[in-house]
Amino acid sequence: MSQRSERRGIHVDQSELLCKKGCGYFGNTAWQGLCSKCWREEYQKARQRQIQEDWALAEKLQREEEAAYVSTHSSSQTQPPHSHSQPSLATFSKFEEKKTNEKTRKVTTVKKFFSPSSRTAPKKESHEGKTPSPSITRQSSIETDRVSRDFTEFLKTIQKQAGKEINKQSRAFLDSMGNKRDLGVEELSECAQDFYQNISDRLMNHYKGSSEKVDRVMDQVEKYIMTRLYKSVFCPETSDDEKKDLATQHRIRALHWVTIQMLCVPVDEEIPEVSDSVVKAITDIIEMDSKRVPRDKLACITSCSKHIFNAIRVTKNEPASADDFLPTLIFIVLKANPPRLQSNIQYITRFCIPSRLMTGEDGYYFTNLCCAVAFIEKLDAQSLNLSPEDFERYMSGQASPQRPDDPAAWPQTGSNINPVVSQIHQNQSILSNLEKRQQQVIEEANSLQTELAEWQDSVAREVQQILERYPLEIKPRASAIDAENVENDRLPPPLVPQVFAG
Amino acid sequence: MAAAGGKTYSFKVVLLGEGCVGKTSLVLRYCENKFNDKHITTLQASFLTKKLNITGKRVNLAIWDTAGQERFHALGPIYYRDSNGAILVYDVTDEDSFQKVKNWVKELRKMLGNEICLCIVGNKIDLEKERHVSVEEAEGYAESVGAKHYHTSAKLNKGIEELFLDLCKRMMESAQADERSRGNGASHTSTARRGVQIVDDEPQTATSAGGCCSSG
Repeated sequence: MSQRSERRGIHVDQSELLCKKGCGYFGNTAWQGLCSKCWREEYQKARQRQIQEDWALAEKLQREEEAAYVSTHSSSQTQPPHSHSQPSLATFSKFEEKKTNEKTRKVTTVKKFFSPSSRTAPKKESHEGKTPSPSITRQSSIETDRVSRDFTEFLKTIQKQAGKEINKQSRAFLDSMGNKRDLGVEELSECAQDFYQNISDRLMNHYKGSSEKVDRVMDQVEKYIMTRLYKSVFCPETSDDEKKDLATQHRIRALHWVTIQMLCVPVDEEIPEVSDSVVKAITDIIEMDSKRVPRDKLACITSCSKHIFNAIRVTKNEPASADDFLPTLIFIVLKANPPRLQSNIQYITRFCIPSRLMTGEDGYYFTNLCCAVAFIEKLDAQSLNLSPEDFERYMSGQASPQRPDDPAAWPQTGSNINPVVSQIHQNQSILSNLEKRQQQVIEEANSLQTELAEWQDSVAREVQQILERYPLEIKPRASAIDAENVENDRLPPPLVPQVFAG
Repeated sequence: MAAAGGKTYSFKVVLLGEGCVGKTSLVLRYCENKFNDKHITTLQASFLTKKLNITGKRVNLAIWDTAGQERFHALGPIYYRDSNGAILVYDVTDEDSFQKVKNWVKELRKMLGNEICLCIVGNKIDLEKERHVSVEEAEGYAESVGAKHYHTSAKLNKGIEELFLDLCKRMMESAQADERSRGNGASHTSTARRGVQIVDDEPQTATSAGGCCSSG
């Protein structure tokens, strides 16, 4: 059982979440793993360096070109052309290097190098160097543009006068928010809520819209203004949201040992459909952080809740009541450890259209999420039906509930847990079998080796013995050169030189 | 806290009470007219809505179920914030669950004052023989705290329609009175405007205090 709950969920290492500079705040992949402050510093530094490098390169280019110019003119046309192309080739490879550099840094200040005359380069550079365009802002501006377009399109579909007024008011509101950057986030929230209230009152009373229609318009208004304001009001530096996020994150991590049984969660993960729903619920609650508009964030919570209901329904075969739902949601939040949970809750609370949070279905699920977070923050031994001593031991990591110290206990628990886990166990036992057999093979190979060595020795010994028993007698041979000439005597006598007196 | 325009009222009603007193059955009987039925279509019974038409006025009722386990008691304030009505359910065969209702009433009155319409509901009257909470005691108590008392049975579908209809009428009255008292000069800065926030410590102390004094 415990293995399942341990393995459930999407585990992100803490180091991946925190700022790479180690300042303790959360990092963001959009900022190359840094937190907002460190990223800003880094980015400023990189930009300064960039500008200086650009200047240096431009000066060098200019000098080189001038030198080339001088040299071509002084040594007249006899100068072969390739000597001229030499420096420019070198600088071109510099361009390339520069280009890749900049690509990795996501700064698009490449264009300027391709200006026809390097003489004008310094001016252009200093100009372009001042307009930073990191791809993040470009990306977000694409989204913002799309939302603005959609908004304008939508306003065309409603009554002309109302559409015009809403457009005007929304723009005026965004402008006024731009001037209030230094206000606290609570004041900004107040402004946004006043704005919602004014617009909906106006639509109700002046344009006599039905409540459904007004709701639809308000959704679009919220989408438009919150997409634009998101960056400045989500987890702002003026609030301590980031600190709270961190605290909650740590708290949930410290509670990793909480099991389904302790929370009395009516979900049986052994059923494949149920464990599927649980995974989907976890995914949805994590996805909430990626949305910008409060309504979209709420939609993630709602979708998560629906998956939870499905899991409960399949397990218990009856519709889920709040008695079942809340513990399950708490369990999901513990398993998911959603990023920037407090920031998201605060953001929704501050900038969502109020009626949605008050009475709607989304509001109910959101309230439950708030309850889950509150419960997790306050959770103690009593709320898990544990003795305070056990709770302390689990929290400090000295002990872990239900983790069998004896690995032999695994196959027994394997029968009543999730099929994936039992599959893992099966694989594990197959692997250990395999390992045993491999061990055996190695042992046998070893014994074979020693046997072979022994055999070799014994053969050598035997040969030695035989040799000792029947020593090889080498008879001394006739040492004459022709001793081997067996048929010596049959040969005719050697030729004797005839002497002619003469 | 009715929706603006005066055409449609939107009410939020919380269901409070110990686990196993039949909160879920009650609301399922009301919204789906089913009891322990295999054919219940809804995926969940924790948030249900009902559209009503009462004397020509449209009412949207949102019924919020709450987790009844003791360990979640401290979360109550997050749930009942900004609600127009509360239905406090106890089991007539279970004296303990009636004590819980008393705790809830104390807490609600302390936190929300008289803005909220309270209904105390004795459920499971089909088990009359095993009754442990006397009718007189329950009704007397309800009157003493300004709440209405109802007897229901989700199993036999008794008293449930009346309970919700009555509650709606009372909530409409208080909403109308609220509108009148606010008059025309009132601004929109109503209490209903702000969303749910995680409440920190004070509600907890309030609940524990309620728990101690309840026996008296």
